[in-house]
Amino acid sequence: MMKVISGNEAVALAVKLARVGVVGIYPITPQTTIIEELAEMKARGEISTDVVRVESEHSAMGVTLGAAVSGVRAFTATSSQGLLYMHEMIWWAAGSRAPIVMVVATRAVGAPWNIWNENTDFMSERDSGWIMSFASSPQEALDLTIQAFRISEDPRVFTPMMVGMDGFILSHTKTNVYIPSQEEVDQFIPPRRQPYVIDPETKESMGNIFQPYHYMKLRQSIHDAINESKEVITEVGREYEKLNPLTDYKTLNVSYKLEDADFAVVTMGAWSLDAMEAVDRLRDRGVNVGLYRVRYVRPWAEEEIIQNLGDKKAILVFDRATSLGRAGPLYLEMKATLDNPMKGVIAGLGGVSMGKKDFYEVISRFVEESKEGRLKGVEWYYPREVKEVELGTPRSSI
Amino acid sequence: MSLGLRDLRSESLLPGTSACPGCPENMAMRMVGMSLGKDVVMVVVAGCSSVIQGIGPKNAYGYPVLNIAFAAGPAAASGMWRAFKQRNKNVTVVVWAGDGGTADIGFASLSGAAERNEDFIYLCVDNEAYMNSGGQRSGSTPHGAVTSTTPEGKKENKKELLFIMLDHNVPYLATASVGYPHDLIDKLRVAKEIQGFRYVQVLTPDPYGWLFDPSKTAEVGKLAVQTCYWPLIEVIDRKVKISNESLHCLKKETRRPLKDFLSVQGRYKKLSEKDYQELENYVDDLWERIISML
Ligand code: SF4
Repeated sequence: MMKVISGNEAVALAVKLARVGVVGIYPITPQTTIIEELAEMKARGEISTDVVRVESEHSAMGVTLGAAVSGVRAFTATSSQGLLYMHEMIWWAAGSRAPIVMVVATRAVGAPWNIWNENTDFMSERDSGWIMSFASSPQEALDLTIQAFRISEDPRVFTPMMVGMDGFILSHTKTNVYIPSQEEVDQFIPPRRQPYVIDPETKESMGNIFQPYHYMKLRQSIHDAINESKEVITEVGREYEKLNPLTDYKTLNVSYKLEDADFAVVTMGAWSLDAMEAVDRLRDRGVNVGLYRVRYVRPWAEEEIIQNLGDKKAILVFDRATSLGRAGPLYLEMKATLDNPMKGVIAGLGGVSMGKKDFYEVISRFVEESKEGRLKGVEWYYPREVKEVELGTPRSSI
Repeated sequence: MSLGLRDLRSESLLPGTSACPGCPENMAMRMVGMSLGKDVVMVVVAGCSSVIQGIGPKNAYGYPVLNIAFAAGPAAASGMWRAFKQRNKNVTVVVWAGDGGTADIGFASLSGAAERNEDFIYLCVDNEAYMNSGGQRSGSTPHGAVTSTTPEGKKENKKELLFIMLDHNVPYLATASVGYPHDLIDKLRVAKEIQGFRYVQVLTPDPYGWLFDPSKTAEVGKLAVQTCYWPLIEVIDRKVKISNESLHCLKKETRRPLKDFLSVQGRYKKLSEKDYQELENYVDDLWERIISML
């Protein structure tokens, strides 16, 4: 069924279709409408999910983890400050190897307050031991959320999984979304599986103090599970075509006009579509450029990336996130994967808007620079009107 | 009385814990086993009890345990009982937390769970400091006590969790002391039969933080009650009931002098006359408030 819905509505629908047992909910912009929608569904009697209205994001993950280790499917969603407040529990969930699904509607992190989009909140969880995918449309938000339950509950994986999507840009924008039927999803996601269930029958316990060698081996087991999940992800993706034949999840990441390209642009998330249009225009003008969209940050699709980008003359990586004092995280990941000449661009932070024109400008400049052999490392890009803005810091007034 | 205790079997504490000799938390854990039976799942938050449990993958408690971060116990328990309910399983979920986890870092999630009237027992083992990390003051440390972060003696009074939790209007609330095991066991048995949020705070005098001889744990637990420093009460559906062991505290004249409780502990060694007066006032206020609720 096709329906015009927002990214957040799409996620709530995915949670319903996955027949989630318990959700821990706490409001934070721009994630809020996901949990509002779930609360509405509950009030209308459409779901039997236990909706727990907790007092913080830390507790939202606490409830979710408690329910998950006790044997039911569990979900939560958050953003920005909330994700950071939850940070401790995100690690606890990963260390527990508890299959849990969480959606992050990304948003800048204060100070100062900023409710607009940026991906730094999401990207800063890369070390925690979750599988991390990132959607580029409300459709993908729905698809990846449904797939996340199956992936995280696969015995070859048993790792929590988060699905990111650009706050407001996807969370609040309505587009056509293809929604699979309940029967299809029931067939697609098998009954809940998990490594252990805590209850008096199983006598399982978890989380107490471990010897250093056991601890380290456990950490490696998470690392290995995430790496080996690549196979599961593509397998699940292929099978998802039965639910939605219009999509392509055969690979972790997505290539666009890359095969014959000399130059490659790397992006993640919603602005990839603007970047694609810029690529089209450049192609029309004879510039041999293609695009590679990162859909999975963890596992990192090393082989896929080398295969798709290894032969390119130069690569341009767009980051809507930072590792302050260093570079954009996507750029750093790419740098660690490829030896090709590379440039990083940090843009769109805190909701600074990036249009097709901006992508066109940055990509054109990158192609010229690389032809002239003067690729710079990392650049902060401001659209024309923003360039003029002065920051009145205390220092500048001295 | 002791005869009755021997009759009660408990497998809640298995041999081979890493507790210090004379540990009051071990005593309390055994009493939990004596009262709640087998169908129990424990959520143990950071604290002595997560160390007493021993080194994983082994577990010195006779219960399945979810160990969890300091502030997440009540939230995790909320998710757990709801999951058991969905799976049609009759399990008593117990959160086991120290006073630091309860009065300080975990208070928001405790308060939230109480407000939602979640269906589990929250058990606070109150040894009045962060003993597991070397005896630092917590919100539950009493006035005048010397701890490793209040070497001069704590300047503030104990945070009164009893009243704070009373104001949450939970269906069941009780205080107990490991000095009076029958009382604790009875209360936990009552708690087990009640639905909704149940809060039980047990005084667990710690020989290493309170500085008394480890053979005297039970005795100090009794002295706290006899001197009325630690009231034993039970509140069911807002009805306050004073336990027999504390009835004498209703009148000031029948209370045992507070000195008898303070003088057996090294943590009060720097107590001035003014501090002593402060503590006496604390006890008077405590009882005045309890009496006003009767
Ligand atoms: S420090 Fe106190 S509470 Fe902790 S294990 Fe030792 S005796 Fe028990």
